[in-house]
Amino acid sequence: MNKLDSVKNLDACIKCSACTSQCPVAMVQPLFSGPKSVGPDAERFRLEGIDIDPKCLSYCSNCKTCEVTCPSGVKITEIILRAREKASLAAQKSGTTRLQVRDLVLGRAEYLGRLGTIWPGLTNGLLKVYLVRVLMEKILGISRRAPLPPYQAKFKGIRNNKLVPNHRLSKAVVFFPGCFINYNDSLTGQAVIKVLEHNGYDVIMPNFHCCGVPLQANGKFNEARGNAKKNLALMNPYLQSGVPVITGCTSCGLALKEEYPNLEVSGSELIGRQAYDLFEFLWELQEGGGLKQDFQEIPVSLGYHAPCHLKAQGIGTPSVRLLRLIPGVRVSDLDTGCCGLSGSYGYKQEKYDIARQIGEPLFQRVQEGVRIGEFQSMATECGGCQVQIEHGSGIATKHPVWVFMQAYGLSPEFL
Amino acid sequence: MQDYQVVIVGGGATGVGVLRDLSMRGISALLLEQGDLAHGTSSRFHGLLHSGARYAVKDPLSAAECISENIILKKIAAHCISDTGGWFVQSEEDDPDYVEQWLRGCANAGIPLREISLSEAYWKEPLLKRNILRVFEVPDATVDGFKLVWANAKSAKRYGGDYKTYHRVERLILENKRIVGVAAKNLLNQEELLIGCQVVVNAGGAWASEIAGSIGVHLDVICDKGTLLAFNQRLFQRVINRLHPPSDGDIFVPHETITILGTTSEIVGSPRENQPKEEEIRRLLMMGEELLPKIMERRVIRAFAGVRPLHREDSEVSGKMDEGREVSRNFALIDHEIHDQVQGLISIVGGKFTTYRLMAEKVADWVAKRFGNLRPCSTAQEKLLSEISEDLKKQALQLLPCAAAEKMLERLGEDAGAVLLEIQNDPSKGQMLCECEMVSVAEVEKVALDADAHHLADIRRKTRLGMGTCQGAFCTYRALPLLGLEHAKFDPLQDELKRFINQRWKGIRPILWGQQLRETELTRAIYTSILQLNGIRDI
Repeated sequence: MNKLDSVKNLDACIKCSACTSQCPVAMVQPLFSGPKSVGPDAERFRLEGIDIDPKCLSYCSNCKTCEVTCPSGVKITEIILRAREKASLAAQKSGTTRLQVRDLVLGRAEYLGRLGTIWPGLTNGLLKVYLVRVLMEKILGISRRAPLPPYQAKFKGIRNNKLVPNHRLSKAVVFFPGCFINYNDSLTGQAVIKVLEHNGYDVIMPNFHCCGVPLQANGKFNEARGNAKKNLALMNPYLQSGVPVITGCTSCGLALKEEYPNLEVSGSELIGRQAYDLFEFLWELQEGGGLKQDFQEIPVSLGYHAPCHLKAQGIGTPSVRLLRLIPGVRVSDLDTGCCGLSGSYGYKQEKYDIARQIGEPLFQRVQEGVRIGEFQSMATECGGCQVQIEHGSGIATKHPVWVFMQAYGLSPEFL
Repeated sequence: MQDYQVVIVGGGATGVGVLRDLSMRGISALLLEQGDLAHGTSSRFHGLLHSGARYAVKDPLSAAECISENIILKKIAAHCISDTGGWFVQSEEDDPDYVEQWLRGCANAGIPLREISLSEAYWKEPLLKRNILRVFEVPDATVDGFKLVWANAKSAKRYGGDYKTYHRVERLILENKRIVGVAAKNLLNQEELLIGCQVVVNAGGAWASEIAGSIGVHLDVICDKGTLLAFNQRLFQRVINRLHPPSDGDIFVPHETITILGTTSEIVGSPRENQPKEEEIRRLLMMGEELLPKIMERRVIRAFAGVRPLHREDSEVSGKMDEGREVSRNFALIDHEIHDQVQGLISIVGGKFTTYRLMAEKVADWVAKRFGNLRPCSTAQEKLLSEISEDLKKQALQLLPCAAAEKMLERLGEDAGAVLLEIQNDPSKGQMLCECEMVSVAEVEKVALDADAHHLADIRRKTRLGMGTCQGAFCTYRALPLLGLEHAKFDPLQDELKRFINQRWKGIRPILWGQQLRETELTRAIYTSILQLNGIRDI
């Protein structure tokens, strides 16, 4: 956001407090004065040179519920994250090293992923050792209780870096898998590709970097911009040919739609229009009559949780609409707020309890739904939500694409 | 009836400055003010502490006075001043010959300046228009009129000075062409009172000719209305002036959380004519666009107008009555014994906020001489507010968010201790009652209990309650119950509410567009719909 846009953004706030009244963190943490207070309110003072306590800023989980709520379209999280960046630059000078190292670690899911996937068995084994987690908490401030997802072999697509001839680009898509699929859930990545291929699309998967959201959330704006530029450069030839970019992760999707268009590099003018959530894309196919309907009946009932960053995309819940096309599938859209994890937020030692409390109504709803037989398991697009819901409720939670795999009669290839 | 050596009429910057100066010299003085302190011209200006550079060409004497007072005030009133610095910006339209004259003028007046490279200028002020040629930095600063006036009053009080607000001077009392007292009316209970004194200092500002007129003394004060606009946020980090002969809409002043664009200049018939008009606002925006592009897209939260009291000796009249800027901004001290054969009456007229202390010093010198008091003026040396202790700062930062703590300490000084104690005892009082300007419940409660607070607007002037983005939409109804705690002092809550909202809307009505229109619709929904408040004037 340039200076003119940020002036306009702040001017748009009419102080109604709708954001604070809906903020999941403010709801459970009385010490957090809410997004309006640390965002637009405090910003007028920051412009005067009076900064607020960075601790207040750190309560924000970047879930963007405030931005979804705001009737004036204020980019509240943007204001808060910028302030956090400024505060973290100031802290670098004064040096509060432990949390800085943590920001470094949690902001770089990608590097961790690369390390973890070199020898996933060893990493996962280590992460299960209680002492290791205690040390991580003591040294890095990463909660020993938080549900760190296990690493898997890095996702490499199905046939590596497939070349699609130019004349077939009209039936091709670029797949942006995101770090969770890349390092923790490669099978879901395969499922996405299989479903797209089943619908007649060639799937192109350049060697993308982390989308930048975790970096931003941990105050590393420059690095986030750097990643975004590298990714855009990889997408650009396809964007110029009109090829859509599909994301399976809702946070990556939001970044592609909201952040990438602000970069001043080639392709940024196209990415906003050409980025699709997987199910948003499939739903457009369905509306145009292009979605394969050869579904087998699957007698399954699911509870569905809409991730916050899906809500922030403003496209509704296309996966629910699509799931309901499959014979035998029953879906309850739980609509019970935020799961609390918010990417790296819930892993932080001092935020773990807040994240649990935020997710508690959802966990209870999930458990209750299963107990009364309303549904058997959970579906949600976001990897973080999946991990947190399983952690909080004990109920299996998967990406909705798996239902389509089953309905289309497809199975993953174990490479 | 209580007697004083001196009665000062008018609780603006000059009046309280005189009160402080006389009190420090041990001369007993009472200040009478018809409204609240600083409710008039002393708060209805752009909040610019001049370096003098604006007057460097036209009015070298003012320029020299300004720079010397600028240095003094930064020292004695640091808590009221933000030392932002100021820029003079020459654009393509501005006459290069004037720039040369101006540079000479600044040098002659002793105003330090430094030329800024354009790349530095655009980097530091990204919103500045892109066609500028040269930029010069001068020691302009911003000053809070409310805080400075109150700091003077409190300092005077410590030296035994007295002031009464909401006391209107009805007439001066003469005996054998000699001042012996004043008759005043307490506007809160309509009681008349007579006060004996030997000297009256007429510091009524734009009202000064009415005061002198009460005994048939003619005093020529020109009422020069200046309209200003307040933008929602700090658009610039320093004062931005256009480098051309002073004109309308050519100064932006970042003031606390807002930016003020000023000013217009129009001769009016009375100090009461302070309603901003639409054509003035259009003109301000048109002129302001020369420094701030896309100005119509920036959110204006209100317009306001003050009436400058300009002095003009009849001999100085040289046509151009309609052009207030042609009249000297220099001040004049008028001994009515010389001019009108009235002993013991001195009027101080003209001048500007930046030179209030100097004006007060001159007045106090005259008064002291009359009483044979030989103590020299010490207002330039002694700080207005004693240093705030580190302990208090620490405590404030523990109990309140940083911005709220800092602002409260600036406003209350050591008195903040009482507020902090309240918050310590009841943490819920640490909540922000006014969220836009970050004023806590406890601070509003404390100020409401002040003997000087009679209306919600008095609390506003002391705290900035209701002066931010929402212009009272949310804090007004929150503040009302606190006034209820003090039944005897305030008007019925319905009346307070109506008066306050109407005052806010006076400044909003002329700028109803864009985001502020949305804000005002929300305010209207709260007060006329939810709270069913009748009697608010229609927008």
